[in-house]
Amino acid sequence: MPETAGASESFGDPRFVFLSELLGRPVTAADGSRLGRLTDLVAATGEPYPPIESLMMKGATGRRQVPWSAVERLGEDAIVLKAGTETFAPPETHGSDRMPLAGDLLDRQIVDVHDAKVVRVNDLHFLEVKGQLRIAHVDVGFRGLVRRLGWQPLVDGLVSAFSKEARYLKSDQLVGWKLVQPLDRSPGKLRLEVAQRLLATLHPADLAEILEDLDRDQRTVLLQRLDVETAADALEEVKPELSAQLLEEVSAAHAADILEEMQPDEAADVLSEVQELLAHPPDSAGGLMTPDRLQLMPTQTVADAIAELRRRADELPFVYELFVADEKGRLVGVCTLRDLLLNDAGAALGTLMREPAATVRIDARLRDVAAEAAKYRAMSVPVLDEAGLLQGMVTVDDLLTEVIDGR
Amino acid sequence: MGADAAPQPVQARLPFHRRVLLFMAVLGPGLITASVDNDAGGITTYSVAGARYGYDLLWTLIPITVALIVVQEMSARMGVVTGKGLSDLIRENFGVKVTFWISLALIVANLGNVIAEFAGVAASLAIFGVPIWLSVPSTAVIVWLVVLKGSYRSVERVFLVASLVYIAYPLTLFFAKPDWPAIGKALVIPTFHSDVAYIGMLIGMVGTTIAPWMQFYLQSAVVEKGVKVEHYSLSRLDVIAGCIVTDVVAFAIVVACAATLHKSGIQVETADQAAVALKPLAGQYASWLFAFGLFNASFFAAAILPLSTAYYVCEAFGWESGVDKKYDEARPFYWLFTGLLVVGALVVLRPNLPLVKIMLVSQVVNGVLLPVILIFMLILINREGLMGAWRNGRYFNAIAWTATIVMIALTAWLVVAGIRDLVV
Repeated sequence: MPETAGASESFGDPRFVFLSELLGRPVTAADGSRLGRLTDLVAATGEPYPPIESLMMKGATGRRQVPWSAVERLGEDAIVLKAGTETFAPPETHGSDRMPLAGDLLDRQIVDVHDAKVVRVNDLHFLEVKGQLRIAHVDVGFRGLVRRLGWQPLVDGLVSAFSKEARYLKSDQLVGWKLVQPLDRSPGKLRLEVAQRLLATLHPADLAEILEDLDRDQRTVLLQRLDVETAADALEEVKPELSAQLLEEVSAAHAADILEEMQPDEAADVLSEVQELLAHPPDSAGGLMTPDRLQLMPTQTVADAIAELRRRADELPFVYELFVADEKGRLVGVCTLRDLLLNDAGAALGTLMREPAATVRIDARLRDVAAEAAKYRAMSVPVLDEAGLLQGMVTVDDLLTEVIDGR
Repeated sequence: MGADAAPQPVQARLPFHRRVLLFMAVLGPGLITASVDNDAGGITTYSVAGARYGYDLLWTLIPITVALIVVQEMSARMGVVTGKGLSDLIRENFGVKVTFWISLALIVANLGNVIAEFAGVAASLAIFGVPIWLSVPSTAVIVWLVVLKGSYRSVERVFLVASLVYIAYPLTLFFAKPDWPAIGKALVIPTFHSDVAYIGMLIGMVGTTIAPWMQFYLQSAVVEKGVKVEHYSLSRLDVIAGCIVTDVVAFAIVVACAATLHKSGIQVETADQAAVALKPLAGQYASWLFAFGLFNASFFAAAILPLSTAYYVCEAFGWESGVDKKYDEARPFYWLFTGLLVVGALVVLRPNLPLVKIMLVSQVVNGVLLPVILIFMLILINREGLMGAWRNGRYFNAIAWTATIVMIALTAWLVVAGIRDLVV
């Protein structure tokens, strides 16, 4: 195809252009005949600065999708297509790594990772280099709104008449594409590596605030993109009822992982919220409990307990609390790992144990077990039979899996 | 969400007490919206309707209730399914220009409503002997503090308790000794008068019961509650209960005024006049109850309207919002909330206030906004990408569009009449 003068002219110096300036611009054939108006641009979001791959236009014959390679020139008053490329297929559905910008990004909420807040996309800022259009920035500022309203010349004129140095004129609030985290429903390739890394470095309180500001579906998307530790730190800062909502949206295994990372008391708060929302016939404590537990006599010593713990550590699901029972098997007290660490090896367990705060009957329902665990912020709840004999324990982890799975 | 996915089955066969618990957890948005609906403007309209036309307008309450349920149900459904507020959905689906004009109209309409609420506070407390220079500023300050210093949950609880005060109106019925057989007849057999004022009154009742701000408020409140799709049937129950409560209260006001004022041939123009006029006819307590109900409604709405307006506008434009944000982070939010409150209170404090004209402007803007909002709602709720299997069915759409078109025709009349009265 012969190089035309027009092409070399417009594809010369790099320049910036806003999406709002392009939308609605006429699309013409090489001979200047009008084909339609630009309605959207589709970007390949897998790259750091996503290139525009095709454009969508609406003409007399309906909607059409045109590959960007067919664009000859991005003129001030029209987008001119190359000769011989005027017939195009109707638009296809986009894969997860293709994003129609006006449809799925403009006016949506995104996370500005740099400033740690949720913002709305007022406009998109492209860099045009050698005929390629790439997303450079996201405009989240007031001037972007004014531009969208079509009032920029007027408002710019008015403001500069008052003060040529006005902040409004100097600082377009453009956020680099790398620093934003889109929150589209389909995760796809929208994971922006830089944004992803930066998310993990945000202060948990900031992250919590972001989560609270987002819509329900977006929260879930964001939570799924956080690693377990970051998610746990953030959820500790979020209101318990919101944490519970969020954990119900992710898979049970992921939720359990996150809860495990959380501080026990925070996790207990969340748990109590989850069971409040619970709408299922509860299982019994007997079905939930594990018989594997550390059970010792009041006369045994700390050293005995630690030895027992070491011996059985592999088979035990849970080593933070151990139970003290008399020779008949009646529960008389509980000790924590902390007690073992802080007391002399020779001290009898009977002297340092505490009254068991939370206990449940073997026929207790899941809801009641969860309520006990939440009330006493216990990591495990001992399960007793009719005669008061210790039968096993229900751990917070088991409760969670049950509560979340059973949803 | 799949196109041909069947509507998800609602959680079935829970034990009764669990259903009740769950309902209590979902309860709130519908009842609160309904309560704020019977604000100063509503009470005024119903009082005047009862005093002027006796039981003749009672029949309209039944179609109004149906229309209210249809519209509110759609708001709640959109909130539950999308997890987004109405202003967010409008911004995301219709762009900046539409959002800008709707926000502007909403601010103007709600400023008019806030002024009406403060006028209601002043008038009702005047009956108890509180002078306006004390009642209005202190109400504004209390609202400002409660909203900015309390959490949404605590504010909501206060509001739920406050909505119980609406029992005040059905109680006044007890003093008014109405003619029940006549009421029953008036409810089911429509009465038409040929005069223009009667039609104006009828439309006024529709306009005051179904207002634009309610759709925004209800949807946001449902989102804020975090109601899940599988519990939607309970949310719908909340909405329906709320709508019925609204219209039972409206019914009580119309009947109380009809049984006393209309019977004695007393004409009133405002709700506080109605409260005063009730005293010789139904006794001091009826009068006090009526005035207290007016105060409660006005106070309640004066707290909710500025706050909710600030939320919708800021969320639509992507500005930080919420009372948990610092002033520096969320300036537009604080300015809007405080501005609506202060301007509303100051306008009422101005002597020789052209209150009637202000109300007419508010009525016109509300009337222009309502059809736009309803049509946007109907477009949104039929979008597959947004609502999936929860779109309107064919029959529901027929009902919803019919209700919308009737309301548009009625409010168009209201707008024309309002502009005519403003010009003359």
